[in-house]
Amino acid sequence: MNVFMYTLSTCPWCRKAKIFFKSNNIPFDYVDYDLQPEEEQEKIMEKMLKMSSARSFPVVRIGEQIVVGYNPEKYSEILGLKKGVMA
Amino acid sequence: MNAESRKKALRFLFQKVIDPLGYKFSPDEDLVEFLLDQEVLLEQKHGIPYCPCQGLTKKREENMKIVCPCIPFHREHFDAMRRCWCGLYVHKDVTNPDELRQIPITEIKGS
Repeated sequence: MNVFMYTLSTCPWCRKAKIFFKSNNIPFDYVDYDLQPEEEQEKIMEKMLKMSSARSFPVVRIGEQIVVGYNPEKYSEILGLKKGVMA
Repeated sequence: MNAESRKKALRFLFQKVIDPLGYKFSPDEDLVEFLLDQEVLLEQKHGIPYCPCQGLTKKREENMKIVCPCIPFHREHFDAMRRCWCGLYVHKDVTNPDELRQIPITEIKGS
């Protein structure tokens, strides 16, 4: 299942989310919003507001499902992990 | 002022704001230190200690809603989680912040 995240380089919960997927050997891609050029940030924020109605990070897309925030239980449930390794 | 001194100053200032709102710093001291480090960096970059876990845009009025401590602008949301989004602050009665989860605003408004 494809995993993609919008993250902030300053956000500890974004770091925990990355560690969660690494620890569970789940490949993922991510974009650090705050490290993008301004015009790219605008495009990302537009997508994020459509997905979550908020500017809160991390925003994690697992397959077709969107999870806003660090929620390892929810990630595990969607991925079908029995008990995910927590960050 | 060096980063360590500024961090101490922010901690002092923030304490005065959050206390009457019913919040305290998280008992997770490592998390608090990390978040305050990030806020000092954000202040050095933007001139304002914004929340490290919410995204800035070009809209100043929107950015003002994520200046730490941003509790007054997100009261309903944070009160439902018993913590702020980044976890720097928790309700005064919270002893184990690990039990608290980030809950998206859409789930709270929809409940």
